Amino acid sequence: MPELRKDILTGRWVIISTERSKRPDDFRPAPGTEPKAESLTFCPFCPGNEAKTPPEIMSVRKPGTKPDQPGWQIRVVPNKFPALQPGPPPPKKTKGIFQWMEGIGVHEVIIETTDHHQEMTELPVEHLAEILKIYRVRIRAIEEEYHHQYVQVFKNKGKEAGASLSHPHSQIIATPIVPKRIKEEIYGAERLYRNHFRECAFCRMLKEEMEIGQRLVYKNKRFAVLTPFASRFPFETMIVPLEHSAFYRNISDQDTLALAEALQQSLARLKVQLSDPAFNLVLHHSPNPQVSDKAWPGIENYYHWHLEVMPILTKVAGFELGTGFYINPVPPEVAAEYLKNTTFSKS
Amino acid sequence: MKKILLVEDEKALSLLYEEELEREGYEVVVVYDAESALEKIRKEKFDLIITDIRMPGRDGIELIASVMGLRKDIPIIINTAYQSYKDDFMTWAADAYVIKSSSLDELKNKIKELLFEKETE
Repeated sequence: MPELRKDILTGRWVIISTERSKRPDDFRPAPGTEPKAESLTFCPFCPGNEAKTPPEIMSVRKPGTKPDQPGWQIRVVPNKFPALQPGPPPPKKTKGIFQWMEGIGVHEVIIETTDHHQEMTELPVEHLAEILKIYRVRIRAIEEEYHHQYVQVFKNKGKEAGASLSHPHSQIIATPIVPKRIKEEIYGAERLYRNHFRECAFCRMLKEEMEIGQRLVYKNKRFAVLTPFASRFPFETMIVPLEHSAFYRNISDQDTLALAEALQQSLARLKVQLSDPAFNLVLHHSPNPQVSDKAWPGIENYYHWHLEVMPILTKVAGFELGTGFYINPVPPEVAAEYLKNTTFSKS
Repeated sequence: MKKILLVEDEKALSLLYEEELEREGYEVVVVYDAESALEKIRKEKFDLIITDIRMPGRDGIELIASVMGLRKDIPIIINTAYQSYKDDFMTWAADAYVIKSSSLDELKNKIKELLFEKETE
């Protein structure tokens, strides 16, 4: 059973795998023995191999087809070998100054398409909207069924971003605590709301970004794609709903279509300008309302959900790790200019 | 008698597994690399495969992928000292992932469980 351990100085939680037999060379790839997923002929996510995944939690599939059989377009399955063991939130334990809890959570995989090579940018916009609706459905279900405090939705694309398989997929990991990054954003938004703006800081930022226009990459009726003012990574983008909303769980079907369009715009521009880089996509949204209502009363007024897309172009090194200070070699204004001026070929 | 193919490059360890599993009533065929394993699978019928991951030549994950091209219905257990491969979705081709330990109880239980599942399918 893995453990969740708290760094009491920073408040950061870490998943510690306590399984047996860890050795230093666990982390050292032996020459010529790294798994070569891309060259392998078998894919557990491809149609026909449904028996190799755990039974599906839900799917979008052709009428008349059975679960765990071909006929699906999108499948959600539990992780077969999860980072956290499935179950409801465990109690916190303490010994002296140390705090930890059993590594219990929820770890699910969303297989986004039957086509092993069809990336998010190539999906019909309605199909991507279905994936975004599934994010909403799973967030609600996990919050309501398991009562975990935070549901993290993310996607790793490319080996450098941590993906082990190129078949398009997203992941969901729900944790019994709200992660520090999310708390920092919430506290920051709350402070700005109460002490300065009397409105959501994200809404305020959006207004000013629209006026300046320098970091605006793309906009439709419902969403804006921006390169954040203090971007940590080159060509980092943020997709933000124009209308204030704290909870992704409340996104409307209509808005998933507009979000799909904005997300495709963001990813397609990165793909063209940066030769299809590896990237991480993360959703930041308000924690489970059962927790938020008590821990952050009024969060619906000052927090604002958004997507972050971080292409993997640089390595996080000593300075960043030591200080939490990022060195970004590409000013976000320059990044936005490149992304905005992307020319798409007609083929 | 159920026939198990054991793919394990550490000879001392393979001997231990072979003895223990034979004591449990299984017929055990031992090979030390992925190529030999594939050769055996092409020629003989096995009820279950146990494979290490890190081995000279093709690793266990490549072996599993190749087995899937031959026969998808043989239950496979990954038996490795390394838990980090759990992050690799290619391991999903296997039916169980066991971390090597001085006790073989978990491995033995998984074998029983998978053979029972296969029989009752």
